[in-house]
Amino acid sequence: MSKDFSIVGKSVIREDGFEKITGRAKFADDYKFDGMLFSVMLRVPATHAKINSVDFSAIQNNPSVASIITSQDIPGAKKIGMIKNDQPVFCDEKIVTPGDVLAMIVGEDETELRKLLTKIKVDYTSLPTLTDPKKSLDPDALLIHPEFGSNLIVHHPLRKGNVEKGFAESDEILERVYTTQTIEHAYIEPEAVIAIPLEDGALKVIGSIQNPFTVRRIVASVLNLPNEKVQVVQAQLGGSFGGKDDTMCMLSARAAVAALKLNRSVKIRYTRDESILESYKRHPYILKYKVGFSKIGKINAMKIDLLADGGAYCSMSPFVTWRSVVQATGPYEIENVQTDVRAVYTNNPYTGAMRGFGSPQPIFAQETLMDEIALHIGVTPDEIRRRNGLKLGSVTATGQTLKEHDVNLIPVLNKAVSFTNFAEKWKENKKNQTGLKEYSFDQPIFKDEQFISSEKLIKKGIGLAVSFRGCSLGAEGLDQSSCYISVQPDGKVVMLSGLAENGQGLRMTLLMAAAEELGVTADKIIFLENDTSKIEDSGPTVASRGTIMGAAAAKNAAELLRKQLEKVAREVSKLDETDFISFRENLVFSRKKGMIAKFDDVIKAAFENKVELSAIGRYKSPDVSWDEHTGQGDAYFTYVYGCQVAEVSVNTGTGEVYLNKITAVHDPGTVINRLGAIGQVYGGVTQGAGYGILEEVTNEDGMIRELNFDQYLIPTAKDIDEIKPLFLEGNEKYGAWGAKSLGEPTLELGAAAIANAVCNALGKRFYNLPLNLEEVLLGRKLRPQDLKRGSL
Amino acid sequence: MEIKFVLNGKEVAADISPSIRLLDLLREKFELTGTKEGCGVGECGACTVLMNGKAVNSCLVLAAQVNNSEILTIEGITNGEELHPLQKNFLLNGAVQCGFCSPGMVLSSYALLEENPNPTDEEIKDAIAGNLCRCTGYKQIIDAVKQTAKELKVEVKV
Amino acid sequence: MIDIMCEVLTPKNLAEALLLLSSADSTTKILAGGTDVVVGKTQGSKRFADAETLIDINRIEELKGISEKNGMISIGAAATFSEICKSKLVEEKLPLLKKASNTIGSLQIRNRATIAGNFVNNAPCADTVPALLVYDASIEIKSQTATRNVSLQEFLQGPYKTLLQQGELVTRILIPVPQQNYAGDFYKLGRRRAVAISRLTLAVVIQLKEKKIGDIRIASGAVTPIGTRFPKLEEFAIGQKMTDNLCQELAKKMGEEVLAVTGLRWSSAYKLPVVQQMFYQLLKGLER
Repeated sequence: MSKDFSIVGKSVIREDGFEKITGRAKFADDYKFDGMLFSVMLRVPATHAKINSVDFSAIQNNPSVASIITSQDIPGAKKIGMIKNDQPVFCDEKIVTPGDVLAMIVGEDETELRKLLTKIKVDYTSLPTLTDPKKSLDPDALLIHPEFGSNLIVHHPLRKGNVEKGFAESDEILERVYTTQTIEHAYIEPEAVIAIPLEDGALKVIGSIQNPFTVRRIVASVLNLPNEKVQVVQAQLGGSFGGKDDTMCMLSARAAVAALKLNRSVKIRYTRDESILESYKRHPYILKYKVGFSKIGKINAMKIDLLADGGAYCSMSPFVTWRSVVQATGPYEIENVQTDVRAVYTNNPYTGAMRGFGSPQPIFAQETLMDEIALHIGVTPDEIRRRNGLKLGSVTATGQTLKEHDVNLIPVLNKAVSFTNFAEKWKENKKNQTGLKEYSFDQPIFKDEQFISSEKLIKKGIGLAVSFRGCSLGAEGLDQSSCYISVQPDGKVVMLSGLAENGQGLRMTLLMAAAEELGVTADKIIFLENDTSKIEDSGPTVASRGTIMGAAAAKNAAELLRKQLEKVAREVSKLDETDFISFRENLVFSRKKGMIAKFDDVIKAAFENKVELSAIGRYKSPDVSWDEHTGQGDAYFTYVYGCQVAEVSVNTGTGEVYLNKITAVHDPGTVINRLGAIGQVYGGVTQGAGYGILEEVTNEDGMIRELNFDQYLIPTAKDIDEIKPLFLEGNEKYGAWGAKSLGEPTLELGAAAIANAVCNALGKRFYNLPLNLEEVLLGRKLRPQDLKRGSL
Repeated sequence: MEIKFVLNGKEVAADISPSIRLLDLLREKFELTGTKEGCGVGECGACTVLMNGKAVNSCLVLAAQVNNSEILTIEGITNGEELHPLQKNFLLNGAVQCGFCSPGMVLSSYALLEENPNPTDEEIKDAIAGNLCRCTGYKQIIDAVKQTAKELKVEVKV
Repeated sequence: MIDIMCEVLTPKNLAEALLLLSSADSTTKILAGGTDVVVGKTQGSKRFADAETLIDINRIEELKGISEKNGMISIGAAATFSEICKSKLVEEKLPLLKKASNTIGSLQIRNRATIAGNFVNNAPCADTVPALLVYDASIEIKSQTATRNVSLQEFLQGPYKTLLQQGELVTRILIPVPQQNYAGDFYKLGRRRAVAISRLTLAVVIQLKEKKIGDIRIASGAVTPIGTRFPKLEEFAIGQKMTDNLCQELAKKMGEEVLAVTGLRWSSAYKLPVVQQMFYQLLKGLER
C-alpha cells in the first residue's frame, strides 16, 4: 500500500469553515420564508396520563391561531419509530412520558402562541407510573404499551462455551453490579425544522437533521405520500452526536402535517428546555457481571446481565443493546461467556442513539472490573489486559475469529502505557493512598480523626481503559454507501454523498479521499448540499461509519473517473501502453515523460472528445453474520482498538475530581484529515469526561430536573487540563486506504479510565456513574426532594 | 419604541417592542443570523456579542437597553471577504466543527485580545468558559487564540 | 422571538429613577444585569410573574464606580462584577470580594451582572454575600424622600426576602477599609470548575497577633437558606490561640450551627461533612 499521499493524512481546513466562522452558514433556524408560520406544542405536566378531552374553545377563534393540529389531521401513519412504530405523532389518547405532545397550534406569532397554550383545557387522568426498569418485567407491572403485551423491547442472548464449567475451573470469582446514568446529547443547537409545501402536494423539509433519508421515509409515511414527493435537505447541523434522528423525524412529520394542511411553510423550533424534555437520551444501564479467573488472572468465564432502560419508546434500543451484547466482555478472549441484554419500556424519557451507542455503559463496568481483577491477583492494570487481550487469531465472545485486520489492542495499550509511564505512576499513587473518611448522616459533627491534614487533601490517580469496537453497522443492518462525482468543463469537481455532514467534518474527509484519488487539490472540489432527491440512500451517518463507508465510496468514484481521464491523457499525449500515468496536485505525469499535462487540460480534452465525466462510486461492507438465538457470528467486518489513560487529582474533602491529563491512543487505520481526526479525539474525550464525572439527567417520577444548561452541566474550557491524542496507524485493508472509525471510540473509554484513576487515588472502587461530588465522597447519589431549580 | 445604536460600525435605528431580547433584535429585525440561541438563559454563550466592547449574552439584554450603545456581532468581525486573524486561526487550528458555537467563541476571544493582547492559557480558558462547545473539547480553540495573540504581537512590533 | 412583554424605563439619573420608583407598585422591578429578571421572565418564574414594568438602572452614573473616602470603600450598586474584578482598590483592600466576584458565572455574566443584583433578591447561593458579610458591608438605600444605611446582614431577612421597601433602591455598598493586619480567604465549591452554581461558599477574615486571634469574621453561603455570619463562632475564637485544635473546634461548631439552621435535609449528608472539612482547610491556610 502506498503511503506517499499528497493530501491524505495532512491537516486541511474544512470546506465549510469559512461559512461557519463568518456566521454565514445557515442552520435550520436561520431559514426564513415568506408567509412562514410557527408551530408550538401542547403538553400536560404529567408522566403517564389518560387524555379524556382537550378543549380548544378558548383559542379556536383567536386571530393568532391559524390552525390547531391534532392527530385527526394526519393523513398517514399516526405512529412512527426507527424500528417499531410505537410513538404517536400526537398523543390524543394517552401520554406515556412528559415530553409527549398532544397537539400543536400554528400561527404567525410564536410568543403569542406560547401564551395561548395555557388557555387550552386538557382534562386528563394521571395513571400510575413505572419509572424503575428493574420492575418493568415483573408479572404485575403496568404495561407502557399494552398492545405489545409486555414491557420487553428486546432480548439479546449470547452463549459461548459453558460458563458454569468455566466458573468451576476458576480460582476466584467476583460478582459486581454497576449502574450508568441517563445523559443528554447536549448539542448546542436546539432542534429546528421548516416544512415547505411544493407544487402537486409535494413537500420540502429543511432542518437540523442527522439522517435525511430516515426523515424522508418517516415524513412520507405520516403524510401518506410516496418518497419522491418528500424532499429532505439538511441544514448546517449544530451538533447531533446521534441525537437529531428520532426527534427530528417527529418534528419534521409534525411540521409537514401542518404545512400540507395550511399550504404554508411551517417552522418548529425548540427552546433548550423543550429539547431536553422531549428528545431522547443515552440509555441508563444496570450491569451485572460475574467473572471467574485463575490465579494468574486468566479469565475463564464471564456471565453478564445487562438491563437498559429504553424509556417510553423503542427508538433504537434493539440496535444499541445489540452493540452491547457483542462488546460486553470487552476486548478479551474468554472461553465461556453467557450474556443477556434486555431493553425495557418505562415511563422515563425515551432513550436511543448517542455517540458510543451501547458501548460506554459496558466499558465502564467491564474495564473497572478488570482493574479489580488486577488488584486481586496483584498485577498492574496494563498487565491483566495483556494477559487476556484480543490478538490476531483470537476468538471473540460472539465466536468470531479476528483476522484480516490489524488487531491492535496490545499495541495501543503498550503505546499508551509507555507514553504515560503508567505502571510506575500507578504503583506510586497506590502507595500514597490514604482512603476516604467515613461520615455518618445521624452524627454529622466531626470527630477529630475525620479532619484531613492539608497535605493529604489532594490525591493523585492514574487509570486506563481499553476497548475494541466494531466498525460501522455490523449485523445490525444493510451497509453500503454511494458517492457521485462529476467534473465540469472548467476542471472544477463537484461531489455528493449519501452520507450526511453532522458537523464532524465528514464532507472534508470524503472530499480529501476523492482529491487524493483524482490527483487534484482540495480547493478544486465543491461539495453539494445534501439532498435526498439527488443521491442514493447510503444509510445513516451513524456508528462511526462515515469515513470507513463514505471515504471508500468517494475514493471508488474518483478512481472510476480517473481511469476515464487516464485514457484521455494517454491518447492526447500519445503515450504507449507500457507507460504509467499518475495524477497529482492538478498535474498529470507519465513515468517516461514526466509532467505531460495539467488536470484542466485533460478535462478540456475529455470534454471535447465527449468522454463521460461523471461517476458513482459505491462501497459495500464485506459480509457479516449473526445468530440471534445464540449471539454467535461474525458481528462486524473489522474493528478498531483504543486505550485511554486518565490522570486525575481527587479532593478527598469534597469529592471533586480534577482531570489533569487524558492520553488517548486510537488506531483509526489511516488518518485522512489530521486536523479533523485530532478534533474528534479532543471532542470525544471531553464528552467522555462529562459522562464520567459531571453529566446526569435525573427525574422525579419521570419529570426531568435538568432542563437547561444551568442544571445540566457539560464540561467547559476549564474542566480538562490537557488531552494528548496519539494515533497508531496500521495497514488495514478495508475502507479507503484502510481508513476506519474514530468518532465513537474516542468517547467510550473516558468514564472507565477516570473511575480507575479515582480508585488509584483513593483505594476505593466506584460502581455507579457519574463520579460526581457525592458519589466520590459518600459512594452514593443525593437527589433534591423537589424539582425546583437551585434548591438547597 | 424607537431605538438607535451602532451595529457593526454603522448607525442603525429600529422601532420595536422594548422587551424583546437583543438576540431576537439581531436575528429577526436585522437578519444577522450569525448570533445563535443555544439556551436562552445565559449559560451557553452561543449568543455572545460585544456590547460597548464587552462580551455579553444577547439573550439577557433587552432591546431597550441597547439604545445608544455599540454592538459588534460576528458579521462585523469579518472585513468583507477577509477573515479576521482570529477567524483564520480558528480554521487553521481545526477549532470549528459543527460551527454553532463558533461565532460566540470568536467574539469572546476577540474581546479578550482587545483587552489583553498577551493572555495566558488560564486567561483564555476564563474568557471562553461561558461559551459551551460540545464538539471540539476546546483545545484547538485555545490554540487558535494563542496563535492569534502571537501573530498580532508580531504585527505591532513591525 | 421572545418578548418578555414589559415596559422598560431608562432613567438617566438617580433622581429620575427614584421618582419613577416612588409611584411604582409591586409590578415594577429593577432591571440591571438582567441575569435574574430576564431569565426569570423567559422561564416563567413565579418571582417575576407580576412584573410589568422594568426600570433599567444601568445608565445611572451615581450607581456606578468604586471609590474610597474617609476609610470607607463605596461600590455603586450597579457596578458589574467585571468592574469589581478589575478594580485596583478592590484587589488591594478587598481581596475576598475580588476572589468571590471572579467565581461568578461566566465572563459574559460578570460583564452584566451587578453587585447589588447578587444579593438584592437574597438567593441562598449569592457568591459575594459571604465576602461582603465578613467585610461588615452595609448598604445605602434611597427612596425619593429618604436615605438610610443598613448593615447587609440585617438587610438579608430570609430566602428571597430583604428589608427593601416599595419605592426604595439599593444605591451603594459601603465597606469599611479593613486594617492592614487582616488576612483572609474566600472559598467556593461548585460542581464544575467554571460557570457553576455554588454548593458551598466560605469567607473568613482574621487578625492574628502572635498566633492569637485578635479578631475574626466568618460567613458562609449556599449551605444555609441565606448567606450568614457566625457570631457565636467568632466570639468563641477571639482571644484564642490559632492552633490545629482550634481550627477543628471551629469547624465542628460551624457544622453544628449549620445543622441547627437547616436540620437534616437531602443535601446534608454531603454538605455537613464538606462544610466542616473545607472550613477547617480554609482556617489552616490562614494559620501562619
